[in-house]
Amino acid sequence: MSREPTNHELIVEKHTRNLRDGYHVWSHDKTDVERALGDYRWTGEMILGTYYQAEHGRPPDNGLEYRVGASGGGFDVLDFNWLPEEKWLAETEGVDVSISLNRRGKGREITIPIPIYGGGMSFGSISEQVMLARAIAAKKWSTFFSTGEGGYPSSLVPFKDHIITQVATGMFGVREETIQHAPIVEFKYAQGAKPGLGGHLLGDKATSSVAALRESVPWVSLFSPFPFHSVYSVEDHRKHVDWIKTTNPEALVSVKVSTPTDVDMVAVGSYFAGANIIHLDGSYGGTGAAPEIAKKNIAMPIEFAVPKVHKYLLGENIRDEVVLMASGGIRSADDIAKIVALGADGAVMGTSELVALGCTRCSNCERGRGCPFGLTTTDLLLSEFVSPEWGAERISNLYQSYEFQLKDILRKLGLSSIRELRGRKDLLVYRGNGRK
Amino acid sequence: MKKDLMISKLIESRCSIVPESGFVFPRDETAEGGCGVIGMASNVQVPAKHMLESLKQMRNRGNGKGGGIAAVGLIAEEFGISQEMLENDYLLAVAYLDIRIRGKLEESFVAPVFDVHHTQVQPHIPDHTVLDGLEVPPPEVVIYFVRVRPEVMEAFIQENGLEGMSDRRVEDEIVFQNSYKLNTAYYESSGEKKAFVLSHGKNMLVLKMVGYGDDVIRYYQLEETRAHVWIGHHRYPTKGRVWHPGGAHPFIGMNEALVHNGDFANHASISEYLAQRNIYPLFLTDTEVAVQVFDLLHRMYDYPLEYVVEAMAPTTERDFTQLPEVKQEIYKKLQVSHMHCSPDGPWFFLIAQSDTHGEDGSCYRLTGITDTSMLRPQVFAWQENELENGEKVAIGLAASEKQGIDAAMLSLSESDRRFWPRADKYWNARGGSHTDGGAFIFEVRDDRGKAMPTISVFDKFGQAVQIPANTRPYAGHPVTELSSIALPEEALGDLFGWMKFSITNWKYSDLIQFLNSAFKTKSMTGEWDELLNLLTLMMDRRYDTGELRRSSVVSIVDEVFDSTLDAVGRYSPDGYRVLQSGEALPESESDNDAVVIDARGFAAEGENSVAREIVRLSQKGFKRIFVVRARGHRFLGSGLGPDTSGLRIDVYGSAGDYLASGIDGLEVHVHANGQDQLAQIMKAGKLVVHGDVGQTFMYGAKGGEAYILGNAAGRPLINAVGKPRVVINGTCLDYLAESFMAGDPLKGGGFVILNGIAFDEANQIVDLETPYPGGNLFSLASGGAIYVRDPRRVVTEDQLNGGEFAAITAADWALIKPYLEENERLFDVPVRRLLSVGGVEYPPEDVYRKILPAKVRALQAEESWVTADSAVH
Repeated sequence: MSREPTNHELIVEKHTRNLRDGYHVWSHDKTDVERALGDYRWTGEMILGTYYQAEHGRPPDNGLEYRVGASGGGFDVLDFNWLPEEKWLAETEGVDVSISLNRRGKGREITIPIPIYGGGMSFGSISEQVMLARAIAAKKWSTFFSTGEGGYPSSLVPFKDHIITQVATGMFGVREETIQHAPIVEFKYAQGAKPGLGGHLLGDKATSSVAALRESVPWVSLFSPFPFHSVYSVEDHRKHVDWIKTTNPEALVSVKVSTPTDVDMVAVGSYFAGANIIHLDGSYGGTGAAPEIAKKNIAMPIEFAVPKVHKYLLGENIRDEVVLMASGGIRSADDIAKIVALGADGAVMGTSELVALGCTRCSNCERGRGCPFGLTTTDLLLSEFVSPEWGAERISNLYQSYEFQLKDILRKLGLSSIRELRGRKDLLVYRGNGRK
Repeated sequence: MKKDLMISKLIESRCSIVPESGFVFPRDETAEGGCGVIGMASNVQVPAKHMLESLKQMRNRGNGKGGGIAAVGLIAEEFGISQEMLENDYLLAVAYLDIRIRGKLEESFVAPVFDVHHTQVQPHIPDHTVLDGLEVPPPEVVIYFVRVRPEVMEAFIQENGLEGMSDRRVEDEIVFQNSYKLNTAYYESSGEKKAFVLSHGKNMLVLKMVGYGDDVIRYYQLEETRAHVWIGHHRYPTKGRVWHPGGAHPFIGMNEALVHNGDFANHASISEYLAQRNIYPLFLTDTEVAVQVFDLLHRMYDYPLEYVVEAMAPTTERDFTQLPEVKQEIYKKLQVSHMHCSPDGPWFFLIAQSDTHGEDGSCYRLTGITDTSMLRPQVFAWQENELENGEKVAIGLAASEKQGIDAAMLSLSESDRRFWPRADKYWNARGGSHTDGGAFIFEVRDDRGKAMPTISVFDKFGQAVQIPANTRPYAGHPVTELSSIALPEEALGDLFGWMKFSITNWKYSDLIQFLNSAFKTKSMTGEWDELLNLLTLMMDRRYDTGELRRSSVVSIVDEVFDSTLDAVGRYSPDGYRVLQSGEALPESESDNDAVVIDARGFAAEGENSVAREIVRLSQKGFKRIFVVRARGHRFLGSGLGPDTSGLRIDVYGSAGDYLASGIDGLEVHVHANGQDQLAQIMKAGKLVVHGDVGQTFMYGAKGGEAYILGNAAGRPLINAVGKPRVVINGTCLDYLAESFMAGDPLKGGGFVILNGIAFDEANQIVDLETPYPGGNLFSLASGGAIYVRDPRRVVTEDQLNGGEFAAITAADWALIKPYLEENERLFDVPVRRLLSVGGVEYPPEDVYRKILPAKVRALQAEESWVTADSAVH
């Protein structure tokens, strides 16, 4: 005997159905892309193309331009220097897109089969359902996702082998067990979207459950300071790393920094302090909570920062001992391949995962009840629009499409491994300023 | 000639050394963050070897890519010259990276300018590779004792119109400019690097190389070289594949050498400021720029030290308004004029200065200055002895870490009986403050043979640091009188109580007799617990020691404590195991088994660290761990994981940074001062520190209890959440509980009790002038509370930024009273004494005040509806 659904359930059911129908219809049946959708970097076509990939696990074949945006710069004016077709590898079978996350030759070996993992998005900035979706997808692909600052709900503990936990400047949710659980601990020094401005979680999203996890006062805005109050120099940073290694000697250490002009120096300093991964976060990174004036205006674009750091690490003879991960405006498989060709080992994805779940890039993530699509919200009703299983499927499909495309790109460049692509700027061509 | 005219003429005289390229925007070639520094100054000359252990223990603050030392106030015989020559001649030390150019260099930069009275090559060990990790061969150093030739002086005066200026000023400037030219010719950053000037001040020597600071002492065989002032430095450059010794610290101005921990953001703007005064730095680091600013202000502009410090680390915010009006006027002018040479960022400078200007003799200084916001760690210390013949021997120290000071004092006391291991006083400077100005100066005065040199210590404003008088130290006083004390039977039950009662009439012989008898009696009966407890209380507690100096008493107790542990190690009495580095882990047989870790052989961090050994012991089931002879070992108590209640760790010696960080249930007792970053993210459990704690204490803490007998440095409890409950008996430098988010204390949230007390010379409790001198208290806090003991209501609204005062209610008192009672039990700070003012006891609400978060003032529009009630949501 079935029970009458509650109003709440009816609302959730109706909205969920409509949203999912929308993601499908828009990415399949539209002949015109709504002009209000997207922006120059994340064009409407790219958003719909990502919806398509999230549904099918392969790139769209309906003419949507899913590879590049229309910004007129950066990735959007870089193309690949394809080999003539007769020199292509015969098949993608055997093309290797895995990367190692520890190249120091000591400590635990971690290899991820695709050169990407999920970037830091905290509980509070996104819902528990979205976190779980990312966790399931990361597990399925044997890769990782970062919990961001603020700890994580206990529902994520079963996925702890795929968790990168953040030690960020507010120290929210950082406890011995969160550090001891995680195979990788990420020090977040800054975000590319708002370098020098710390972190923000506005009061409306700091619900009782979010505040409970962070042990703060509910409904009060939470600001993570900049920088770490205990780290004002590189020897402080080294001590900081030594501390985490005392708490969890097995952990790999990732240092996430934004891209100031002396980012190369920061990278070398992090290496000497014992980092396994240097994670550069460029200026086009996500976060609706960043002050408008900061977004895209402070840090260096990732396309500039990566080659600068890559070159510097080469010069210091330590390039092969660190893993360089890039984030902050990497939207597609093409972008991933391009940033690797510019010198990174792999990429960290955040926004594109949310787009896979229906994000329209409306930039209303941070205030009020949060995201109307149920992504960047802590509202109990809204967050039910995303179920972890549905979300995991979408993210996983996107990864599958990326993997397919990356292998195809490598094949057409005559490379059998993504590791061979690293730093091969010669395989890129610049198409800006009217160049053909 | 008027002073300002002279200054501008001197500056104009530098036109000849302005590089042709003019001002080039500096691009840090070897950017760096932090470093480890130590300095010591004494009125007796002490050998460099006493910095060795200190620098070794701070090696984590460097990366072996730059180290250096400076010595001021040397000994003539060690150079084989007369005292007169040492004092009057410039000591020109040239580092040759390529010794083959020596002849050519001397021909162009030594012979034409100077009369050379003595030349020597700095001795060094033959093979640098015996020093582990020393890859780049250190430079060959040639030392010249010189005076500027009279005809060169004459020509310089004429050429630049400096008639009437004192010879000393002219000669200094010629030496300065000559070194600049030498460096330009042989060491410009862009060109080939063959030689550079290490130092050129009188009675002062700098040596540096690509390596650690302690290896400088070893390589150049300075172990036994003595000087009044020493500074040592490790550098942590993070860039550049090839390093040159020229980039290592100390950097020199004219009569001073500066080492630096930190970095600043406005290197370029300071370089521009200097360029406008015809000074063009050559070594592309911010440290060189800093010393040039110091030299400009102090030598060229002839500012008193106070003004130099003000120009570099300006007094700001509320502190400025607390200055006397006349100072405000002068400081305002200094700030306006020199805003562009004030280093902006985290920095701590140690400056060794040889000031041989005065007619009344020489003066050697060690000055420590912190930036206004106190972003780098710094500790000062002082010890003073009066010898039998009435002569005073004293030493002042300053370092990045207290353990660095402890290591130097221990080393010194082992070979020089005039010193003992514990300093009389340890303290931090409060940057840019109206209280001490963020700078302390140790000044040695030597009136050239008339009497023994003297040393004094004072802050930026010239106020002497109060040191214990009327007590007699132990060191250097042979104990001749025999003790007649005997342990009465009834004392055995409460040895500490009996000692406390009796010691006010004791001589050192009595103290030693007492300790010996206690040791004999208790070791015979196997009551090790009681013996250790007695010694621990004697270290921890503050009690009237009569005519005995507390630091000496505790140093003696330390020694007996160590030998007691050695005895424990020998006899292995039931329930105790002593564990040395490299030994196999013992098995725990009973819950009461205690392990004593002798920290000496263990690493400060990493797999072989004491911290990891504690983790392993805890996994074996041990619940009681002592760490003894700690020498800056870091992270003690970290890594034990969640829910560790029942475990107790006691730490003796110099505990290192991050102690008790992350603890979740266990108890840690520190029987000394703590260092920096204690109890970060602490979750639960208990931390007791029988002394002070350093920077960012309990950053991001979630809970637990902490009791601090002394003071906290800057930024305690910053960003703490949850329910931490903390008693600080002293005060804090500034920024206490910024962004505190610890709920409502009356509903299970967190709070800090700040008692604002100190101990006087007789170790009696006295009230501080103010419980909180800083300008930022509880800033931007959204939860929790501060209970400040402020009977005279001296803390004012303008110190709060987002907080407000509230009356103490019965519920508040019921909440905090148990913590004050525990505080009484731990430290013997009676609650009744805390409630008393001028000997009269008052009700709690008259003595304590509560500071609460002001209603959220709508940082965001959406927050305006948040009230205390909605927080229960």
